[in-house]
Amino acid sequence: MDRAIVEIRAWPGTEASVFAVSCTREPSTGANTLQREKQLNQFLAGVERRALRIAEIAIRDRDEALDLVQDAMIRLANNYAGRAEAEWMPLFYRILQNGIRDWHRRAKVRNRVLSWFGRGSSDDDYDPVAEAPDPTGRGPDEQLQSTEAMQQLERALRDLPARQREAFMLRTFEGLDVAATAIAMGCSGGSVKTHYSRAVHTLRENLGEHW
Amino acid sequence: MKEPNEKQAAEQFSERAKAAFDNSVEQLDAATLSRLNRGRHVALDAVQGNRLAATWGRWLPVTGVAAAALLTMMLVRGPDAVTLPADSVADFEILLESESLEMFENLEFYSWLDSTDLDALGNAG
Repeated sequence: MDRAIVEIRAWPGTEASVFAVSCTREPSTGANTLQREKQLNQFLAGVERRALRIAEIAIRDRDEALDLVQDAMIRLANNYAGRAEAEWMPLFYRILQNGIRDWHRRAKVRNRVLSWFGRGSSDDDYDPVAEAPDPTGRGPDEQLQSTEAMQQLERALRDLPARQREAFMLRTFEGLDVAATAIAMGCSGGSVKTHYSRAVHTLRENLGEHW
Repeated sequence: MKEPNEKQAAEQFSERAKAAFDNSVEQLDAATLSRLNRGRHVALDAVQGNRLAATWGRWLPVTGVAAAALLTMMLVRGPDAVTLPADSVADFEILLESESLEMFENLEFYSWLDSTDLDALGNAG
């Protein structure tokens, strides 16, 4: 805990009254804070790429997804940096999922307004092939196969109800357990299990046996 | 026997989905990674900003107490009573100069110089 020791005393002398104020701060605090920042940096560096892809799958826009992830990182750093490190993962995804939900709400309102003027966003705007990054290091066939599999999975994920998609991505992609997923989604463990089970069932059905 | 197979098939499906996802994460381009890196540093800067603000916030009452104490003395004893010693101004000037560090390194020499009568020293030499 931070503690400042303050000492005020009059300067020994004749008529002159000069005050000296000395403050001492416990030295361990600064080192702890720096250590905390280092841990937070490591945590964010470890989670940011997967978080970006999860957000991108959910909202289909990489730039917007980058903004959402950055916003989640800032909020976590501002509000929860002092919390136990084990809590960071579910808290981070809770912030991110809230951001994604807000984004969808805003998009709905925007599309409604645009539709009044005869314009609206279309699902055709998003081209996963055009958005696919360059291959790195793998054989072209293997790369193509994996990329295609992911594109099919992304399309199937987008057809899922939002809560099922959240449960599936957090459990499968991020590897969160039921309790952490429940914190991230803001629901009970039972709901997580139900959403996840339904998501897997629907995805397998939609993607077929040969996926 | 159907249930274990179903469970196994679901697990295999999840593993495959995870592998495809991990592959897509590995393929993120350099520009995107750079933006993520910048975003992370913005977040960490926010923490450092908070820490600085908290530190200054902690010192604020100290400054306030000191100012209040000084003001009280001025009110009680009158503004004329609160005067710095005449030499203090010159002392501050010396302290603010960067060369003054050199002086501190040779403090013993200057103390000796101050206590020695130079004229007497010159006559002796």
